[in-house]
Amino acid sequence: MNPQSLLMKKIMQYDFTLKELNLYLDTHPNCRRALAMFQKFRKLREDAVREYNEKFGPITPEQNINAQRWQWVDAPFPWEV
Amino acid sequence: MNLNMFDNIDGLVLRERENNLRRPTDSRPEYNGEMSPFPASTPLAMAYVPFQSWGDTMSPEEALDCGTLFSDLVFPFQEGGARR
Repeated sequence: MNPQSLLMKKIMQYDFTLKELNLYLDTHPNCRRALAMFQKFRKLREDAVREYNEKFGPITPEQNINAQRWQWVDAPFPWEV
Repeated sequence: MNLNMFDNIDGLVLRERENNLRRPTDSRPEYNGEMSPFPASTPLAMAYVPFQSWGDTMSPEEALDCGTLFSDLVFPFQEGGARR
């Protein structure tokens, strides 16, 4: 797996963990352990997405941080991946 | 079919009555791990999902692989499944 795919996989793993905690917190809104874990992985995901944006471009259009070029069009279409 | 579950029917009925007598003052569950995973009142012929309490969690890598973050919820249905 190339570095780009590896980082994308990391983000997917964080996303899944956050979704699981999201669902748990929906029924356990006062659980401090879940809240703390959510904050921890929210930060880790944020850092991973920033790293991805800097190295490989945007994952979603609003993450286009390049002032010189609309890098969104450089990413492959879903059917080209 | 296993009919042993009906052997202790008196005990079951007694426990059922006790459960029905207990009236929760607040319907919001407490999360101290001491509460019953089932509702205070469990009428017959209804299905109940045990209320989840916090347990072991896995790493994000394992979680995505297992389809759950919570170790208590790992139920790999591998027979006839497409997984690996």
